[in-house]
Amino acid sequence: MKNSESEYRVEMTGISKSFGVVSVLEDVNFKVKHGEIHALLGENGAGKSTLVKILSGVHQKDGGKVLLNGEEISPKNTHDGQVLGISVVYQELSLVNDLSVAENIYLHKLGASKFWMNWKQLTNDAQELINSLGFEIDASAIVRDLSIVQKQVVEIAKALSEDTKVLILDEPTTVFDPTDTQKLFDNLFRLKEKGISIIYISHHLEEIFKIADSITVLRDGVDTGSMAVKDTDTDGVIRLMIGRELKDLYPARDAEIGAEPIFEVKNLTARDNLVHDVSFSVKPGEVLGIAGLGGSGRTETAKLIFGADKKKSGTLILDGKEITTKSPVEAVGHEIGFVSEDRKEEGVFLPLSIRRNISVTSFAPISSKLGFISTDKEYTNVLGLIDKLNIKAPSSEVDVKNLSGGNQQKVALAKWLSIDSKVILIDEPTRGVDVGAKVEIYNLINEVAKKGVGVIVISSDMPEIMGIADRILVMHEGTIYGELPKEKFSEENILRYSIGEPIK
Amino acid sequence: MALTIKQQLSNPGGILKFLIKYNTIFIFILLVIFSAVISDVFFTSVNLSNLLKQVSGIGIISIGMLIVILTGGIDLSVGSMVALLAVTFAILVNAVVLPIAILLTIIIGFALGSVAGYLVAFQKMAPFIATLALMTVARGLGFIYAKGSPITFKTPGGEFMSNFANNSTIGIPNIAIVFFVIVAIAAVMLRYNVFGRLIIAMGSNEEASRLSGIKVNKYKFLVYAISGSLAAIAAIVVASRTNLGSPNMGMAWELDAIAAVVIGGASLNGGKGSAINTLMGVLILGLIGNILNLLNVPSYPQQVVKGAIIIFAVLLQRFDSK
Repeated sequence: MKNSESEYRVEMTGISKSFGVVSVLEDVNFKVKHGEIHALLGENGAGKSTLVKILSGVHQKDGGKVLLNGEEISPKNTHDGQVLGISVVYQELSLVNDLSVAENIYLHKLGASKFWMNWKQLTNDAQELINSLGFEIDASAIVRDLSIVQKQVVEIAKALSEDTKVLILDEPTTVFDPTDTQKLFDNLFRLKEKGISIIYISHHLEEIFKIADSITVLRDGVDTGSMAVKDTDTDGVIRLMIGRELKDLYPARDAEIGAEPIFEVKNLTARDNLVHDVSFSVKPGEVLGIAGLGGSGRTETAKLIFGADKKKSGTLILDGKEITTKSPVEAVGHEIGFVSEDRKEEGVFLPLSIRRNISVTSFAPISSKLGFISTDKEYTNVLGLIDKLNIKAPSSEVDVKNLSGGNQQKVALAKWLSIDSKVILIDEPTRGVDVGAKVEIYNLINEVAKKGVGVIVISSDMPEIMGIADRILVMHEGTIYGELPKEKFSEENILRYSIGEPIK
Repeated sequence: MALTIKQQLSNPGGILKFLIKYNTIFIFILLVIFSAVISDVFFTSVNLSNLLKQVSGIGIISIGMLIVILTGGIDLSVGSMVALLAVTFAILVNAVVLPIAILLTIIIGFALGSVAGYLVAFQKMAPFIATLALMTVARGLGFIYAKGSPITFKTPGGEFMSNFANNSTIGIPNIAIVFFVIVAIAAVMLRYNVFGRLIIAMGSNEEASRLSGIKVNKYKFLVYAISGSLAAIAAIVVASRTNLGSPNMGMAWELDAIAAVVIGGASLNGGKGSAINTLMGVLILGLIGNILNLLNVPSYPQQVVKGAIIIFAVLLQRFDSK
């Protein structure tokens, strides 16, 4: 597989690209060797995606040169890119929901050459491919019925169904739990052995240090440096990414935790039994973490409490009084807030402005009895929150779809911060969010807790949950398997509980 | 991604961009100028007031259609509802005093709309199917109650309504005033009232709305009930104009209403659309018919032109969203 003619598989030199009058990339150099995993890092909006999209043919460069195996290429579209052996696994899943797994994997081949398709063959091939990756998914299943994790696996299988020379992964592990992530890494190592060059985009620095051989960091469309992983450390990379020293990723917890619980859950069981006998309590000012593997029932528990899913049994006690939450409307009435893990589908209104997004939960204080909105009050509230959360946008009238992931997440949070809450459930607070915005979100969580709110944070990111929580509950197979006080926090302990093992 | 914002602000798009953005108003003005140039009769008060009278009925149901479409739904029943409710109003006007006849007709419209609302919001039926079924039911009921033929107004109340519907106030036909008032109320409600905000939010992302604690089902139910009530007002208006209620009224009006809303830039996926633009859409459709009539174009070619204009308008909007 080695090509002796050139040292690098991909050489992008002096790449520049602008959209309209705004320059996104300026004189960027990016070189990937044969059979290496090369991490591409940078905050949201730094130009990572644009760079790989130029390589794969989605965008065309304005200036510079792209060499593949020493030969200049300029793919005009993704098909050109695929023919050259460049495959991309996008952050936004690009699967067709109504087709089967196999059809999705071989979508580019359907209708390409033959009039008749050999469906059996196709499904068998797809099944083999998925099995070889070490995941269990039925190739004849319809994609709609898969979990988000399985969809991501299909997406990866799709990228590998070609004769791939360069594999680009854009935040592939955001939906994965540690075991799945490890499986993915094992696969990447195998691909690397075969000589495939892998470009890996991620915000998870721990991941990068586990798997990457080299790192290139982009900041504001300029590459601030490439280096071998062994020559740097987390602090060094963060410095390059944000251009300053980052003292503490996780702010010190200084909220006063009340003595009596503000919110208690007793024997909560879902109608479909995916969650059963969940009991816990949270005190005012406390940040309670819920960890566990994907599918262990974390999100489902939050949705049950919030009334978004149907309960079979269980008691909720808020401020010492028993309450019911048959629907989100009732939950909101009891001042319980919920920030979904699926920002785009369940969190924000992409086509609506920041103002309209934030106001959606808080009409009562800004409108008259007949429902007429006081524009002054609305702007005061919205602009105050934009300022407080440091949402980066030229005005409150910008559509949320035009914001970066971090800023979208802040909008999703702002919706709940503009009203009084007693309990807030936050599912994956920083998924797909860059380092700078992460710190701001952690500070915000801290601040909310300080007001005496009981904050429940669900996260797959173990350093994150250990960094911000006062106490961690670990879920396993639909119920809480164990509880870790702060002094017992460790990745190993969380993982042991997650797989149903006692801690040492 | 943040770049697109800067791009929008700094891009010296100029006149073309402005025209594309406000394409509905632009097309409307263009049509008015075109009509004035090619026909001497166009700018006469008789023609203009006729035009306004013709569009008012469809205009009123178009506003109902707009608020349903904003939630991501559709209401195919409005045309048949106009027929059934016009018959209902004619029967009532001959039986009870006028204010009660008007009130009852609107209440029945609300109730019929509520049936669609109930099926869509609480039985999770697809809006297309629920209202398609109601469309057939309403048309059938109209014929049953009218016993197949039009019912003429016979009382002083009916005479009053007929006068009202055929006269003007300060040069504007009364029924057009009714239509404009409804447009104005809808514009204010959609822009400054929580109700409008919530139905637009629902249309742009229903799941996010539900998880924000919005009573999604209540508002879904309400938009169909309001659409039914507006169909009742439209029915009263058209019945009064002709002094009778006929089960043949409102044929295919639902399609004209959808066309008007779409020409007005609304998205059938929900979450996007405005009352003023829908008004423009209604006027554009009316104008096309009016000009072609003045030019003595027969009705079949008229349909072809109408269709072409709809395609043109929607293509322009595509251009805008890119």
